[in-house]
Amino acid sequence: MARREISEINAGSMADIAFLLLIFFLVTTTMEVDAGIGRTLPFKRELPPDYVPPDVHDRDVLEIKANSNDQLLVEGRLTSIDDLQEIVIDFYTVNINGEVDKTMPSYEDINSAKCQTQIAFYKAKVAELPEDVFFQEELGKWQTKLKLCEELPTGGYKEIHKMAMIKLENQAGTTYGLYIRIQNILKTVVNDLRKEQCMEIWGKEYFALDENNEEDQDIIKKLRILVPERIIEAKIQK
Amino acid sequence: MSKFKKNNKRGIPGVNTSALPDIIFMLLFFFMVATTMKEVDMQVDVKKPVADQAEELKDKDNVDFIYIGFPMDKEMGTEPRIQLDDQLVPDYTVVAAWKQIKTREGKTPMDIVTSLKVHQDVGMRIVSDVKEQLRDIDAVHINYSADAR
Repeated sequence: MARREISEINAGSMADIAFLLLIFFLVTTTMEVDAGIGRTLPFKRELPPDYVPPDVHDRDVLEIKANSNDQLLVEGRLTSIDDLQEIVIDFYTVNINGEVDKTMPSYEDINSAKCQTQIAFYKAKVAELPEDVFFQEELGKWQTKLKLCEELPTGGYKEIHKMAMIKLENQAGTTYGLYIRIQNILKTVVNDLRKEQCMEIWGKEYFALDENNEEDQDIIKKLRILVPERIIEAKIQK
Repeated sequence: MSKFKKNNKRGIPGVNTSALPDIIFMLLFFFMVATTMKEVDMQVDVKKPVADQAEELKDKDNVDFIYIGFPMDKEMGTEPRIQLDDQLVPDYTVVAAWKQIKTREGKTPMDIVTSLKVHQDVGMRIVSDVKEQLRDIDAVHINYSADAR
């Protein structure tokens, strides 16, 4: 028997097969990136029976109501959504260099001495009630504020009133599209202000900060204190 | 000198195509890696709103998706419905239980972001109910899905 020679595999059609697969993947690929606006909802906490809600003044709350016809009521006034951004910017900045508008939140001077007193106060509280997360959070916040004060050349900064917040109220028929537009405006204002501060104080680009980098993380923490984002949402009335 | 001029027939040689499959394979692998397959079969129509501040959703393994929109199947009515995984659910009360079942090992519902993909014409009632469900189990990190452009 003669030994047959094994003939070489013809690889000429290999390219065709690869092409076929390539075209399949080309067609099925969706290069869509998932994007969205991130938010953290407030925790549901059991309030202690002796809890006294803090005094909230009208001027510290920016009330945005949206009805079923997608109309906006901002601080009781019918407002077009195009004007909302201006109002939110005012809410954050109008009183930063002295009292200008009595219907918007006031600012408070924060300096190292003030931070020290608060830290001492909350340290005592934590020692007293080690389980309470609230006091630990507050302590951490004041420690960050102290670091911030020491870092700034003026030795302090101006902080918006601690009760300053934005209250969103919707009706059952308010469309999600409008809701996202409002959220987007709030995000725009906060991002712009943080961006400004970040450039001014650290000379860095806010959007280039890396959450996984410890130094940048620190800056983000401080920016959150300089420009806080407090949004509360009222329940939809049944 | 004639040594160098032996080949007088200067025909154009055929292009060597033996590397063509390699090139195609390279392209193929690129697309295979870059492809994201659809997570679920959509039962509801979701036209996302546009928001220029939308940020890219990172670490997609640790994200749950909730779809709220109008049913594609006209027999299911025209009211907005919630889709969890591949199914339409009867109402919002099952969201908390579903979220808890989906928890990955060693993580709590709080660690896993919930991405809400909601049609822009849906009313806020159903969205608010779902958010309330998530708050009940401390799944407080949510992401309102929107197109960035």
